This record gives sequence, structure tokens and C-alpha cells, in this order.
Amino acid sequence: MSPESSPLLETRGLVREFDLPGGGLFGRRKTLTAVSDVSFSIGKGEILGLVGESGSGKTTIGRMVMRLLDPTRGQVIFDGLDLTRLSGRSLRRQRRRFQMVFQDPYASLNPRMRAGEIVGEPLLIHGLAPSVRERREKVSRLLERVGLSGHDLERYPREFSGGGRQRIGIARAIACQPDLLVADEPIASLDLSIGAQIINLFSSLNKTERMSLLFISHDLSVIRYLSDRVVVLYRGRMVESGPTRTVLDAPVHPYTRLLAGTSSGTPSETQNGAGEPSASLCPFLTRCPEALPVCRESMPPSLENSESGRQVLCHLVAGHSSWKSSASPSLIQGSP
Amino acid sequence: MAEGDDRTLLEVRHLSVLIETREGMIRPVSDVSFAIGRGEAVALVGESGSGKTLTGLSLLCLFPPGATVPSGEILFEGQDLLRLDAAALRMIRGQRISMIFQEPQSALNPVLTIGTQISELFKSHTDLPDSQVRERVIERLRSAGLPDPERVFKSYPHQLSGGMRQRVMIAMAIALDPHLVIADEPTTALDPTVALQILALLSSIRESRTKGLLFISHDLAHVRRVSDRVLVMYAGRIVEDSPASRFFGDGPLHPYSLALLSSRPSGTGETGRETPLPAILGQVPPLWNLPPGCAFAPRCPRADDRCRTDQPPWQSEGASGALCFYPHHSPLGAPQHVA
Ligand SMILES: Nc1ncnc2c1ncn2[C@@H]1O[C@H](COP(=O)(O)OP(=O)(O)O)[C@@H](O)[C@H]1O
Ligand code: SF4
Ligand code: SF4
Ligand SMILES: [Mg+2]
Repeated sequence: MSPESSPLLETRGLVREFDLPGGGLFGRRKTLTAVSDVSFSIGKGEILGLVGESGSGKTTIGRMVMRLLDPTRGQVIFDGLDLTRLSGRSLRRQRRRFQMVFQDPYASLNPRMRAGEIVGEPLLIHGLAPSVRERREKVSRLLERVGLSGHDLERYPREFSGGGRQRIGIARAIACQPDLLVADEPIASLDLSIGAQIINLFSSLNKTERMSLLFISHDLSVIRYLSDRVVVLYRGRMVESGPTRTVLDAPVHPYTRLLAGTSSGTPSETQNGAGEPSASLCPFLTRCPEALPVCRESMPPSLENSESGRQVLCHLVAGHSSWKSSASPSLIQGSP
Repeated sequence: MAEGDDRTLLEVRHLSVLIETREGMIRPVSDVSFAIGRGEAVALVGESGSGKTLTGLSLLCLFPPGATVPSGEILFEGQDLLRLDAAALRMIRGQRISMIFQEPQSALNPVLTIGTQISELFKSHTDLPDSQVRERVIERLRSAGLPDPERVFKSYPHQLSGGMRQRVMIAMAIALDPHLVIADEPTTALDPTVALQILALLSSIRESRTKGLLFISHDLAHVRRVSDRVLVMYAGRIVEDSPASRFFGDGPLHPYSLALLSSRPSGTGETGRETPLPAILGQVPPLWNLPPGCAFAPRCPRADDRCRTDQPPWQSEGASGALCFYPHHSPLGAPQHVA
């Protein structure tokens, strides 16, 4: 994908901390850093894959991008607008342009609403189809677009299979023709034979409606099939990113290498001492089969290979001529 | 495998389970037959609701409330489990057959330390003196690949990572040296790299030539790593039983198995989203409303009129078999009059 004028979405130095319940023995509040310094961009019509183990911060990032959750620090720039500074009416005006598809189609649909009402609701909220008849027609078309039919208008979520419910969720998300879809593990809870149908639906939405996609998954083969570029997360940090094929065919970071199956090392639960990794060292240190002495002393640098558009957070390639230090965008970019 | 063959660990014959539901009587396990040899890992693959977990639980004679077992035999080391009384079954469960579940959290007691929970197994099932129990538990934790078993012994479940909890479950499952281990989706909740370690640990269970493993999964990539043989379930029936080498090599016999294999992105291929995935159309029929004939017929590219009206036969080919009129590689081939 050639870098178009400006990306549709850009995150700059996103950080999210959560207060842990209870707090310390002496009343000190404990916090958990779920997302740390995450910066990426998604071009118009591009699919970005976000991959990582459960608890690595994928959902938290998706929710911050959707403005369902405030970042502790950092910015979310959507089509040139800093969403983190918008609120009220001006945020609502942008909202229809980015929509979310959730992992669990059971939990994310109101069980007391019919499919037609669920899909038509955003149209109503954004005043896009004010008359009942108009809305009905539009909803029928949306249902057909996602592989359901106009007959499904009157049915309740429980009357659909898991795949059917996910289709309703997608129809609702695309109702206002958003520019960006954030899909959080949209096939993880679906049956084997249904996953492929839904993946095909996403790629067709990207192709014909030119929707950009932030596709969150822990399944590397799906990410590989679907996405142009990939961001690999580990414990809230971006450990590697770049064009999908390049990254997955020749991963640099030891964690990506384990994921992609190109590592010769054996993954171990506790390679370098049990317990929580230190916040000031590499997040992967406790499991890294390739750690260097320096990894026990300092945080790995964020390095960039501008020729291939790749980034990696690791000591291993520091000093190689093709990898240059990349200052965190949160530091070099002023607010617009 | 012939009866009395002491290489056969388990043989299930024509097992059916009926359950009365609001929608009517369903048969989530329908005429299921298969065998597991000693030193063999057998995978049971299928979508949710296809009957995998119920089949697994049946091997422990654990049936949901309201279930009946109208027919079948479960021969474990020569004994029909369905004919044993409750006391005899309690002896077998955990001691000779054990099960590992998807969510280790739910199977572990949150208020007891790991050490207490595993020690309890030895205290209730063996006459090992208390002084030796601790040592034995530590030894089991170590063989489940837990790096610091002393620390794990003293830990509560919530103090461990998901991968470590699953290792604890495996330690518990192998604690009393059972001959058959049933693992139900043991890797679904885990990070992909941790999942690979757990798979390696599971497949080592069968290295002792006396033991067998039933690995229940919907992930074909994982199945490929652990199993010697693959069983595929669809709507309560086993529709294919093939050696893994054959299943993943030459390809499976049953059209459903083949469709499952090819609907997944390969993970290595050069084709991206410009080429749609060969998805299976439609969805699994509900068990209370199965079509007459072959349950896969509404979605099967090979189906003809016969498939839509008659129950397909079990057709064997060498060590493989499929419940199908027109299995792949069969001399019969695809139906001639297909549209
Ligand atoms: N509302 C919250 N309160 C406290 N901790 C949270 C909250 N939401 C997420 N977390 C924690 O943040 C981390 C990242 O979680 P999440 O974004 O859900 O990861 P993923 O989607 O990759 O599984 C986890 O440790 C999770 O427990
Ligand atoms: S920085 Fe060191 S410990 Fe971290 S991934 Fe790289 S080599 Fe491993
Ligand atoms: S019996 Fe017919 S419908 Fe069923 S799987 Fe075989 S070919 Fe397809
Ligand atoms: Mg998540």
C-alpha cells in the first residue's frame, strides 16, 4: 500500500493504565499498565492486523480507538482530527465514521430488540433514514449485504446462530457507511465452518466499500491472509510491526519468531527467572530464548527499518546498519 | 482392533445418548464407535454442539441430567463402563481415566493452594503415607513442565498465569498415572506460543506405551501436532476416522472434513484476501431438526438425491473410514448425476 496523503487513523503514544482494586498495604494505589506507548497508523482502504496473546492489550487499544475508553496519555487522530480532544456533539458527529464489531455476538446485541431494530438504530440515531419506510428498505439491503435476508428483520438475536448474530453485528456496524471498522476477535467465538464466511465478508467490505479495518486477532494465519500490515503486541507494547508478509516471513523479534514458528529456540514459561517482568526492562525478557546480557540491564530501543517500513522493540538488532533508532512519535509530534 | 487385543485401551461401540429438551428429543451422541490404542493420541474434531464434549464425558460415564443411554458399550481395558456401579466408577475416574478441561480456572478451587488440591488426590485415592505425598506432588508438577514446583505448590490458582494453570491441570490429570487422558479444548484459552508448549506436553503422555490420549479440539493446526488419528464429528455422529498422516497428507475422505481443511487460511500460502476462502455455505443444522438422510447434505457439494433421503453407510478404505455415500478417493467417486 503506497502511503496516501495522510492516514485515516493514527495513534500516537497511546498509554492506558488501570487502577487495581484494593491498592497496596499502605494505601498506595497500584496501577496496571495495559497499553504502553502504542503508535500506528491505518491508511484509507487498508487492513491493519493487531495480534497478541489474550491480555496483551488488544481490546483496550480497540476501545481507545473507538473512544469508548479514555487513554491515560496519547492521541487518537482520525482523518486529521484529534478525537481525544473532541467531546459532546462534535464527537458524536464523527462517531458514525468509525464502528466496532465485537467478539461475542451474544453479548453485544440487545436480546429484546429485533434484528431490524438493531441494525436500524444507528440510522435513527444519526438521522440517516428518518422515515420508517426508508429505514426498513435500507435495513433490508444491509441484511442482504451481510448474507442475511429481509425475512430476518423481525427475528430476535436468539433465533440466529452465532454466525448469524455476528452478521447482524456487522450490518449494524456498517449501517452508517463508516470509513473504519474495528473488529475485535470477530471470529474467535464462531464455528469452524462459519469463520471463513465472515472473513470473506470483511474482505469484501474492504474491497467494494473501501472500508479500512483494524482487525484484532490472536490467529496468525487469519491475520496473514487478511491484513496489509501487522502490529504484534506483547504485554501492552508493540514489539514488532510492518508489512504482514515481510514481518511474518522473516520476523525479527523473538516473540514474533515464536508465534510464526520460525524460532529455533524452545519457548519457555520462565526462561530468565520466574515472576513478573520488570517494567523497566524488555516485556518479553522472562520468556525470551535469545536474551542478551544487555537485556537484563536496559529497556530495548525502538528501532526502525525505513526501507521496509518495519519497526521492532529489541536489543538483538541494535547497531545493525539497516535499523535506526525511531524516536517515539509521541515525543516528536506536537499537537496539531 | 479385535476384542481382547491388549493394545486396545478403549473401545466405544454404537454409543448413543438421548436428551429431552424443550425443542424435543435430541441425540447429541449418535451411534458413535471408535477405539483408542495404548500409546495412541486420537483427536476428536468438530464444531461447537457437534457432540465432542458429551462424547468425552461419556467415557467417564458422566451424563447431563435427563440423559439416557439407549444403546452402546464403552469397553475400557476390557470392562464395560456402562455396567459398573457408582463405587466402581469413582475408582476409575481420576485414577484410570482423567479429564482436562478448557478453562482451568473453573476446575480449580480458588481458595485452596495447588499443593493442597493435588495432595488431596493422593490422600483419597492411594495409601501413600502423608510424609511422601508432598514429594510426589512436587514431582508431578515438575513433570508437567512447571519450572519452580515448590513455589507453585504454595500458590493459589489466581497467582499463576493461564499457561501455568493449564500445566497444573495436566499435573492433576496425570497425578495418579491414569491410562486414558481426555483433554477437552485444553489450549483454546491460551496464548498461541504457550498453547504449543501444552500440546507438546500432552503428546508426551502417550510416549509411555501404556497410555492413550483423547484430544478434543476444533483447531486443525493443533490436531495436526498431537494426533495419530483423527475423528471428525458432525451433528452427533462420527463422520470420519482416519490416520492423521492420511488426513493431513493425501487428504480426508469425508466432504465435510475436506471442506474444513480447505476453509482455513493456510498460514503460509501466498494467496491473500484477493482470493476468497473456500467457505462452507450454510450452517450446522440444529439437532432437533436434522434433515432426513445425511446431516451434511444441505451444505455438501457432492450431495445427490440419495444423500438427501437415505442415511449414508460407513465406508472403509484401509485404515480410514467415512460415513458417506461418495467419499473422496473412493472407487465410487462423486455421484455421476451431480448437477
Ligand atoms: N476495566 C479494566 N480494569 C482493570 N484492568 C483491565 C480493564 N480492562 C482491561 N484490563 C487489563 O488490561 C490488560 C489488557 O487487556 P485487554 O485489552 O482486554 O487484552 P486483550 O484484548 O489483548 O486480551 C489485561 O491485563 C486486562 O486484565
Ligand atoms: S530485547 Fe532482549 S529479551 Fe527482549 S526480545 Fe529482544 S533479545 Fe529478547
Ligand atoms: S453422504 Fe452425500 S451429502 Fe453426505 S457427505 Fe457424503 S456425499 Fe455429501
Ligand atoms: Mg480481547
